[in-house]
Amino acid sequence: MINSLFYKIKNNPIEYFFLKFIALLAMVLILDYSIGSIFSYFYFNQESGLQYRTTYSIEKTTADILIFGSSRANHHYDPNVFEKRLNLSSYNVGRDGNFILYHSAVLKGVLKRYSPKVVILDFTYGEFKLNRISYDGLTSLLPYYDGHPEMRSIIELKSRFEKYKLLSHIYPYNSLLFTIAVGNTEFNKKRRGDFKGYVPLIQTWNGPVQIDSSSTKYVIDSIKIKAYESFIQDCIQSKIKLYIVCSPYYTKFDHPDYSVKLGQEIAEKNNIMFYDYAKDSTFTNNPRYFRDVVHMNETGATIFSNMLIDNISKTNEVGVNKMRTTLIYQIDRTKANVITSAVH
Amino acid sequence: MAFVPIYILILGFTIVIDYFAGRYIENADGKRRKLFLIFSLVANIGVLAIFKYYNFLNHNFSFLMHGFGLSNPIPYLSILLPIGLSFHTFQAMSYNIEVYRGRQKAEKHFGIYSLYVMFYPQLVAGPIERPQNLLHQFREKYDFEYERVVDGLKLMLWGLFKKLVIADRLAIYINVVYNNAAEHNGKTLILATIFFAFQIYCDFSGYSDIAIGAAKVMGFKLMTNFNRPFLARNISEFWKRWHISLATWFKDYLYISLGGNRVSIPRLYFNLFLVFLISGLWHGANWTYIIWGALNGFYLIFAIISQRIRNKINRLTGIEKLPRLNHLLQILVTFTLSCFAFIFFRANDVNDAFIIIKKISTFGGSIYVENISIMIYSFLGIFILLFVEFKMEFYKGEFSFFTNNSWVVRNLSYALIIILIMLFGVFDGGQFIYFQF
Repeated sequence: MINSLFYKIKNNPIEYFFLKFIALLAMVLILDYSIGSIFSYFYFNQESGLQYRTTYSIEKTTADILIFGSSRANHHYDPNVFEKRLNLSSYNVGRDGNFILYHSAVLKGVLKRYSPKVVILDFTYGEFKLNRISYDGLTSLLPYYDGHPEMRSIIELKSRFEKYKLLSHIYPYNSLLFTIAVGNTEFNKKRRGDFKGYVPLIQTWNGPVQIDSSSTKYVIDSIKIKAYESFIQDCIQSKIKLYIVCSPYYTKFDHPDYSVKLGQEIAEKNNIMFYDYAKDSTFTNNPRYFRDVVHMNETGATIFSNMLIDNISKTNEVGVNKMRTTLIYQIDRTKANVITSAVH
Repeated sequence: MAFVPIYILILGFTIVIDYFAGRYIENADGKRRKLFLIFSLVANIGVLAIFKYYNFLNHNFSFLMHGFGLSNPIPYLSILLPIGLSFHTFQAMSYNIEVYRGRQKAEKHFGIYSLYVMFYPQLVAGPIERPQNLLHQFREKYDFEYERVVDGLKLMLWGLFKKLVIADRLAIYINVVYNNAAEHNGKTLILATIFFAFQIYCDFSGYSDIAIGAAKVMGFKLMTNFNRPFLARNISEFWKRWHISLATWFKDYLYISLGGNRVSIPRLYFNLFLVFLISGLWHGANWTYIIWGALNGFYLIFAIISQRIRNKINRLTGIEKLPRLNHLLQILVTFTLSCFAFIFFRANDVNDAFIIIKKISTFGGSIYVENISIMIYSFLGIFILLFVEFKMEFYKGEFSFFTNNSWVVRNLSYALIIILIMLFGVFDGGQFIYFQF
C-alpha cells in the first residue's frame, strides 16, 4: 500500500519534489531542535566568561546595587568599592558593545525576579545616535528570547525578521560555538576573571590626548530615547534609586554632546540625578588613570568609584534639587528623527 | 543602498532605445546600420558615463585645473549610481552588437526584449548574458523537472553558504584592517588581503550561484560565471575562470574588435592592456580599480614576454619532473599575483593601497586578532570552500555529498549546509559587493 503510494508519487515530479522537500524540512527541523537544545544546555551551563555574566545578571543576581552600561560601565565601576563604602551588595552588569536597548531589556529581565535598591546607569557620548551597531548588539540577548517574554519586544528590534529567525533553535547561538565551548572548560575559569561582573583593565595609556572634533550633529534614534525613558520609568515604578552617570573620558570633546544634553533633560524631568564626569579634570589630564582614550584602568576605576560614592552621598545629604546641573542647551526635539517605537 | 523608484525610468529609457535600435539595425544596410548601432552604444555608454563616471571625471578635471591654478567651473552632480547599471548596460549593448553582426535576429516582442534586459535573477549583478543564449529561452515552455529544480536549489544553497558563512564573515576582519590600514602591520595586512580574495570571490560567485540557481529552478539556463578561479595555474587561465561573463564580453566585443591576436606584437600588448584598463574602469570610477585592471593587463603581457625564460628556468630547476609540485607552485604564484592586485581593488584609495604595499614589504609585527572566534570561523569557511573546490577540480568522479546515491547522505548534506549557515552565517545585513558596480 505504502509502496504503491510512493511509486505513484514518484511518477509525479511535483508531488515527488514536495515529498522530498518535506522530508528535508523534517530533517532540518529535527537537527535544528537537537543541536539548538545542546547549545542551549551548554550556553546556560557556563560558569565563567562574558555570556555567563549576562546570564548571571538576568537570571541569578540579587545584588542591592546593579551597575548598567557598556564596556565603560564594565571597566569603570568597581562593585567592591561600593560594597565596602555603602555596605550594599553590588554587581556590574555592564557589557562591551551594548547600549541603552540592551540595558533596558536586561533591567526588564532583572525586575521580573526582584528589585535592586540602587541602579547606576552609565551613559555614553552619542548614546542616542542612530546607528546599526546598537541593534546588532542585541544579538547577545538572543539566547534569552525564549525564556524571557518581557525582553522580547526589545530583542525583536534587532531586525524586521528577528521574530521569524528566532523560530530556529540554533539561530540564537549563531557564531557562539567557540565561546560556548571555551566557556565550559576549566581553562576559562582560570583566565583573567571578573570581580562581581567588573573587569579591571591593567595597562596604562601612553598615547597623546585625542580631541574629538566630530560633528555635533547626528541623527537621533527615537527608539533609543524611548528605551532610556522606559529604563527610567521601570526604576521609578519599582522604587529603585536610579543614578545616571557619564563616566570620565580621556578624549577631549570640543563640543557638547546632543545625547548627553537630551539624557540630562529627560533625567531632570523624572527627578533622576545625572552626573557628568566626561570632562572632569581629575581624569582628563591624567593618562595614568586610563587604558585607552575611552576606558579607565583599574586605578582610574577605583578613584572614580570612590568619587561617585562621595558625590552620591553628598547629593543625598544636600537634596536632589540643589545639586541638579543647570541645563545650558535647549534641546530642539523637532530635529530628532522620529521612528515609531516598539519599546514600551 | 537606497531604492529610488524614478531610476526605473533610466532602465526604461535604455530598453526603449535598444529595442528600436535593434529593429532598425536589422532592417538597415551599410552606413545606416552602423549609425543605428553607434546611436544605441552612445545612448548606453552615455547613461553609464553620466551616472558612474561624470563626477569621477569632473573630480580629476578639477585636480588638473588646480594644477594650473584654475578653478573648475563644471558642477558636480548629486546622483546615486543605479544598482547593477553596468551589468544591464553591457547586456543591452551585447544585444545590439550581435544584431549588427548578424548573429542574432532583432527581437520583435517588446516584452520579451525587456525581460532579456531585466531578467530579475541576473539584473543587478550578472552573469552578463548574450542574446543567443537567453532570448530564445523566454519563448520556450517549461514543465516542472525534478532534477533541474533540485539542482537549482542546491546551487542557491551553496551560493548562500559562500555569501553568508564565508564572505560576510571575512568582511568583519577585512573592514577593520583595511579601513585603518596605516595602523596595521605587514602580516595583518597580508592576512586581510588573502581574506579579501576569498571574500570577493565568495561574495560575487555566491551571488552568481544564487542567480543561476534561481533561473534554473524556473527553467532558464544562465552562463557559468566562475569556475574555481583560485585553482588557475596562470593569470590567463585565471581570467578564463573569474567573472567569465564579463571577461568573454570584453573579449568578444572589444578585444576582437581591436584586432584580437591577429595583430603585431606591440599592438597585441597594447590591446591586452587597454582591455584590462577598461575592465578595471568598468568596476568603478576610482583610480584603484583602474590600477587593478592595469596590473592584470601587465601580468598577462609579462606572462607572454617571459614565457621562454620561465620555460628555461623550469627545465633548469627540474621542476617539470615534479608535475604535482609544479602545479601547486603555479596555483600559488597565480593566487599571490591576484591577491597583490586585489590590494588596489579593496583599498579605500590609491594612497592607502601604497601604504599597504609598503607595510606588507616590511612583513613586521604579529597578526592582529581582535576576536579569536571570527578568525576560527573565517578559516573554517575557507577550509570548507577549498575542500569543495579541490574535490570538484581534482576528484570530480569520486565520493560526493550532494550527488550521492544514498538519499540519506544527500539529504543530510543539504541539511548540514543549512545548519552550518544558521550556525556560522552572518545575518546582520551585509550587501553584495558587486551590486555597486
